Amino acid sequence: MIIRLILLSAISSIGWLVFLRRNRLPFHIMTVFGLLAAAGVAIVFPETTNDVANLVGVGRGADLVFYTAIVVVMFILVHYYTKFVELQTQVTQLTREITILRAEVDRVAPPAARSSTGLGL
Amino acid sequence: MVAAFNEGKVIREVVGEVARAGWSIVVVDDGSRDNTAKLAAQPGVMVLRHPINRGQGAALQTGIEYALRRGARSIVTFDADGQHHAPDIESLVAALATADIALGSRFLGKEIEGASSRRVALLKTATLVSNGLSGMKLSDAHCGFRAFRASAAPKLTITQDRMAHASELLRKIGKSGLRVTEVPVTVRYTEHSISKGQGGLQAVRILFDYFFRS
Repeated sequence: MIIRLILLSAISSIGWLVFLRRNRLPFHIMTVFGLLAAAGVAIVFPETTNDVANLVGVGRGADLVFYTAIVVVMFILVHYYTKFVELQTQVTQLTREITILRAEVDRVAPPAARSSTGLGL
Repeated sequence: MVAAFNEGKVIREVVGEVARAGWSIVVVDDGSRDNTAKLAAQPGVMVLRHPINRGQGAALQTGIEYALRRGARSIVTFDADGQHHAPDIESLVAALATADIALGSRFLGKEIEGASSRRVALLKTATLVSNGLSGMKLSDAHCGFRAFRASAAPKLTITQDRMAHASELLRKIGKSGLRVTEVPVTVRYTEHSISKGQGGLQAVRILFDYFFRS
C-alpha cells in the first residue's frame, strides 16, 4: 500500500536526521529510535494498535494514536513556547548590555560626529 | 528617563521641555526606524540606543540601569509622546521626600486634556483590573509618569519587555512594602499620543503577557 511507503519513508527520514545529530546523548538517540521503531510497527502491523487500545480502554487503535498525537503536540508546543520566552529574555538582556556598553564607550571616547553629551546624572 | 520608539515627530520638543526645566535626561531609543535618536540628542541629554526593538518595558529597564550606573539618586519615567507635562516632574520628585515611589495619577483632580469618554472608561477599567492584580488601591493604573528613589530600583526590576511592564511594576510595588504615594499630574492627549497609545484590544495582549510571560 502506498500510504505505508509514504509513512515509512517519512519516519526513516526523521531517523536519518536524528542520526546526523550525533552530538546528542546516546540516550536521546535511543529513545527517538525506540519511538520511531514503535511507529514503524504500527504502520506495518496496524492491528497491533487495536490490541494496545483495548488494553487501555480505547475502542479503536486509530483513536489511541490520535489522542496520543494531540498530547505529544501540546507538550511540544508548551516546551518550545517556554524556550521562546526564555530566548526573548536573553535577547533583551544582551540588547541592554550592548546599549549600555556602547553608551559608556561613547561617553569615555565620544565619536566626533555625535553631539550627544553625557552630563552627570 | 524617556523611552522612545518612532517618536521623531515630537521627541525634540518633549526632551527639550524637560531639559529646559533643568533635569538630566536619559533617552532610550528602542530601535526606532525613524530619526528619534538624532532628534533627541541635545545638550544635557544622554541618548542610548537599542540596536533592535525590544519593547517599552525593556527600554525603561535599560534606562533605569544606566541611570543607576551613573549615580542617579532618583529616577522619573516620562512618556516620549508628549502627553506628560514637564513641570509635574518637580512635584513627583518632591513627593519622594516622604515616599519611595511617587506615581502620577490622571484621576486626582487635575484634568485630562483631549480624552474621549470611551478612553476614560477604558482607563477606569484598567485601573480596576490592575488594582485587583496588585492588591493596591490606586486612583490610576497605567500612568507612565512615575518617580522612585534609586534605593527602590532593585525591587522594581522590569522583566516584561512590552506593555505588561506597567502591571508588573504595580505588582512589585504592592509586594515590596515600599512607601507609595500618588501625585496628581496633567495629561494632554493629542492625536499623536492617542495613535501611539493602547486601545482596548491591546489590553488583551497585555493581560496575556502578564500571565504567560513571567
